[in-house]
Amino acid sequence: MRGTRGLAAVALVALAVVPWLAARHQLSLLTDLLIYGLFALSLDLIMGYTGMVSFGHAAYFGLGAYASALVLIHFAQPVPVALLAGALLAGVVALPVGWFSTRATGIYFAMLTLAFAQLLYTVAYKWRELTGGSDGIAGVPKTTLFWGGPSLATPQAFYALVAACVVLSLVLCRAVVRSPFGHALEAIRENERRFMSLGRDPRPFKLVVFVIAAVFAGLAGALFAPFRGFASPEVMFWVFSGQGLMMVIMGGIGTLVGPILGAMVFILIQEVLSSYTEHWMIFTGVVFVLMVIFLPDGLVGTARRLWARG
Amino acid sequence: MANLGEQLLNALTLAGLLFLVSAGLSLVFGILRVVNFAHGVFYMLGAYLGYTTVVLTGWFWPALVIVPPVVGVLGALLESSTLRFIYRRPPIYQLLLTFGLALILEEAVRILYGPTAKGIDPPAYLQGAFALGNLLYPRYRLFVIGLGLVVAMAVWLFLRKTRAGLVIRAVAQNSEMADCLGANVARVRTLVFGAACALAGLGGVAAAPMTTAYLGMGIGVIVDAFVVVVIGGLGSIGGSIAGSLIVGAAQTWGAFYLPETAMVIMYAVMGAILIFRPWGLFGEEE
Repeated sequence: MRGTRGLAAVALVALAVVPWLAARHQLSLLTDLLIYGLFALSLDLIMGYTGMVSFGHAAYFGLGAYASALVLIHFAQPVPVALLAGALLAGVVALPVGWFSTRATGIYFAMLTLAFAQLLYTVAYKWRELTGGSDGIAGVPKTTLFWGGPSLATPQAFYALVAACVVLSLVLCRAVVRSPFGHALEAIRENERRFMSLGRDPRPFKLVVFVIAAVFAGLAGALFAPFRGFASPEVMFWVFSGQGLMMVIMGGIGTLVGPILGAMVFILIQEVLSSYTEHWMIFTGVVFVLMVIFLPDGLVGTARRLWARG
Repeated sequence: MANLGEQLLNALTLAGLLFLVSAGLSLVFGILRVVNFAHGVFYMLGAYLGYTTVVLTGWFWPALVIVPPVVGVLGALLESSTLRFIYRRPPIYQLLLTFGLALILEEAVRILYGPTAKGIDPPAYLQGAFALGNLLYPRYRLFVIGLGLVVAMAVWLFLRKTRAGLVIRAVAQNSEMADCLGANVARVRTLVFGAACALAGLGGVAAAPMTTAYLGMGIGVIVDAFVVVVIGGLGSIGGSIAGSLIVGAAQTWGAFYLPETAMVIMYAVMGAILIFRPWGLFGEEE
């Protein structure tokens, strides 16, 4: 336990020091990695802690991105207002989708989430007046931290906002999984039938965690839009949901920190490969297949196992 | 009236294609307990290999005969080189593995064929329209409906009336018991996986003259096929037939009466069915 605390302190210091050390594009890359990390973290809540594999998590990232983009462009509000709007929209849409999807379990759940996500993707693609169709929404501004407050237009300022959001989200997610509610989730993951035989209904628990995960994914998307300056249907596409699953598996399912790390490794592999070949996807696929077969616990999970063994 | 007839035939054409894809998806789930995310890519592969065969031979029929076994063998090879090793893990790992395979195959096709779509002409005597009373309907589409019907019958008869079908059903029911009774479970899995991929490949060849062969056609079809098997119930061939008809009808009528919301109608139908039967029409509670 003391070891993890030490590591956490080191990580925090590293996050705080980076803006002074990193070059502009490195800082921008790190901001990107943290946003994807937040997305993967939110997915781990339902996947790693509740055993529900969603193949449509990108939808909530995308909803967050669109809501944030629209708020920033049309109302010129401070960024936190846009973040709130993104998280809220994702949560609100996740409510009916989750209500439907959690009626089913296992594979049926995965397929339902995929189907609903593709439906939302289609809506984003077709509703041109609102979303700009396949072009998406460009020119999303990085406004300010609050009304009349400091500008977020510098890379350092926006990085600080993203880092703060990710650290805060990690703390909150940790609190969620360590609460009695979180223990109930783990009980559902371990044996849903036993949970039911204790006279408790798993569905409200699953629905609530589904919505919580969507809110954090929405937050990640809401950060993504002003950071990149655009929102487009790609961030809602099934491929992105699948990449989220890859990030979680690479980092270590059910470890919270792992998925953030997994997201970073995943994106870095892509960055490196794509600088050598335009067909990097094939190598990503191969790396991923090998990881699934040989390292099912992911980087953090495997490290912990080796650590525990001594 | 002619309009209604045309809609009905369009629905049946779509249902025929969807059945070819969803039957394999459902069968693989029934036997291997694996949701094969790469299944749509085998459909796409069928379309592209069909294009190559037509280019090489100048005929459509060889494509329909040669391509499905080729796709099937490729599927069987992939099963025995990757999936075979992780059956004991939780289902998520198999799903993710096939997702990785889908990425690899999709990119491989992009490398081999480039990004542009490849068109195939239907055979000469299936071009043009056929007169059904006062309704003129494309001959090729009638052929696709017939193909779907024939394959559905063949799969059903194979599973119900042959000894091999009996073994497959036994493995689906209880693979350990089937193993004890002398069935070679590993081989059954590989063969079923290959056969399912072959069916998807056949669907791809059949679809290509209507839709062309293009990148991304795999995911388009697999999302529809997922809806089909969710409605029909995984692991049930009857469910695949029923689901294909329902989705084919929902999409066709949706596209005709409410063009912008055709997709929504399909999901609404799925939602309505799942409220009453969360495991699909022919599925069994897990």
